[in-house]
Amino acid sequence: MARVTTSELPKRFHDAVLKWRETFLPDYDFLLENWERYFPRDPKFRLCAYREGGMPCTIECGDELGRDKYQRACEMRPEAAQHLAGAIRAQASTEFGSIQQHQLTLARAQDEEEQAMVLRMMAEELRHGYQMLSLLEADDWKPITGQSSEQMVEEILSMKTGSHVLGAFNVDFESFVDNIVFCALIDRVGKYQLAMQKVSAYAPMAESMPQMLREEAFHLATGVVPLRRWVVKAAAGSPMITMEVIQKHLNKWVPRALEMFGDERGGGTNVKFGLKPMKNSEAQDQYWREIGKVVRDLNLRYLRARLPQLDAGQAELTLDRLESERGVVEGVDARDLLRLPHRDYFRRRGVPAFRMVGEDGGAWTDVEGYLGHLVKTLPDGYRATRDFQDYVTNLRAVARGEKTPEEAQKFMPQLRRVGGVCPCSRAVRWVADEHVELPDGGAVHGG
Amino acid sequence: MSDPTIQIRSLSELHLDDIVRIVEKTRHSYQPDLWEDRVTYYLRRDPESSVVAEVDGRVVGFMLGDVRAGEFGIEEPSGWIEVIGVDPGFAGRGVGRALADAMLARYRERGVRQVRTMVDAGMPEVERFFKQVGFEPDSLRPFVRRLD
Repeated sequence: MARVTTSELPKRFHDAVLKWRETFLPDYDFLLENWERYFPRDPKFRLCAYREGGMPCTIECGDELGRDKYQRACEMRPEAAQHLAGAIRAQASTEFGSIQQHQLTLARAQDEEEQAMVLRMMAEELRHGYQMLSLLEADDWKPITGQSSEQMVEEILSMKTGSHVLGAFNVDFESFVDNIVFCALIDRVGKYQLAMQKVSAYAPMAESMPQMLREEAFHLATGVVPLRRWVVKAAAGSPMITMEVIQKHLNKWVPRALEMFGDERGGGTNVKFGLKPMKNSEAQDQYWREIGKVVRDLNLRYLRARLPQLDAGQAELTLDRLESERGVVEGVDARDLLRLPHRDYFRRRGVPAFRMVGEDGGAWTDVEGYLGHLVKTLPDGYRATRDFQDYVTNLRAVARGEKTPEEAQKFMPQLRRVGGVCPCSRAVRWVADEHVELPDGGAVHGG
Repeated sequence: MSDPTIQIRSLSELHLDDIVRIVEKTRHSYQPDLWEDRVTYYLRRDPESSVVAEVDGRVVGFMLGDVRAGEFGIEEPSGWIEVIGVDPGFAGRGVGRALADAMLARYRERGVRQVRTMVDAGMPEVERFFKQVGFEPDSLRPFVRRLD
């Protein structure tokens, strides 16, 4: 029988997380007080770390395949331990970062049930962050990172939108559509990362993943189920949501989601060290196919709402025709359907970084024309954000030849000072991007 | 023996359309909202218990359930099988048995010692199926009182 144990952080760390929660998740108490109303019969949420027993005890991939997994980071090869520390830091950053983003627009939900689902998801992300902090607290990282556990925790709890490790967590939300599309797309990348880290050569990391994966399954439903209902509303001509609005949010988040896998040329080192079973591009390819299914299912739901006389088989055939002919079938215009933007569209990291590729895959040569295309295909509110401004500044610099795409990547997100928000924070820190080794010996910075 | 081409996977939100499609074929009723609610319920409570069966990458069956305790005077955690659906085009291929085998194995791994279900007496083929996979009548009997 799988054995699950739970634990709490030492009081000082636990209290720091509670303080963080008061600031960034103020509706937490409301959630717990109304738990039975929204989630009857579900076990009540508890802020703690879970560890799964009965997992493989030997390394499952890489150079040390078959060797006993590591219980302490200092037993690992230094380079492997550094990669591991970076992964824990990045994972923790994403968990806390997503709460900060969701909080911005949580109150703008139009539907109480959808809002409750997102709120529960935020609480579970807090627990995921707590889980990562438990890994930092329980081991000695100073010989590896030069920072004590306390300093690493302090740094993570001090991050804000704009200073998180991965780009997707530095993008402000503008409406509740962001909350939902983010769950459907960005949490899905999270699922891949957790599933890969489940084989980690560092046993405490691997044993942390199963419970996080269980919770992540609900987070994906928190994104996909409202989207399925929104496309039905859009089919009925609702003024509250349209397919165009959803499409623009797909365009906003799909590029960031693809970049979360890291540079397409990287990831081999993680496999070599037994930290993950797949290189970045392999995982990104699987993800791409999966979100293709999400979009197809949403289109089917839309089509059934527009053409209720069709059964499942007929709807699939109609969708096939619309996708291949790109015209009008039975009164439905192919342009009304959702689609994935081209994989190279609006990228600022990885192989396609700062290439001017349109949503439909068309190449642009004129930078201002391309920016006009982005403005047309992205949500209106996003245009006014710092994130988009940073992209525009860097794209223009690349176009003028003042920066190479590799140099421009280093400035997305910009390095900036972050103020302390947690009671244990005494310092202001610089947050730098991760360094990705390339197979040819070169290197770029990338998430 | 189950067909070796049948692949069992944990339920995910990606299977929603497949489940709606199978139910539409078997019950002749298109109810996406209902299944969105139900799938979300199982995903948030116990995502590893429920399973789907795939043949050549296409979902051809599903079985939903979870582990619960404290209901109907049963204090010991019990596994429940609450919904089963098999694409009629794949009937007789061992899809139901593969789903049941996988779900029971998952329950057993979690230390569950009893798995329960309820079958409508008007569906003898479902009763036959559960007997084939080892279920037997229980002392727990359903009662109903109509209020109309």
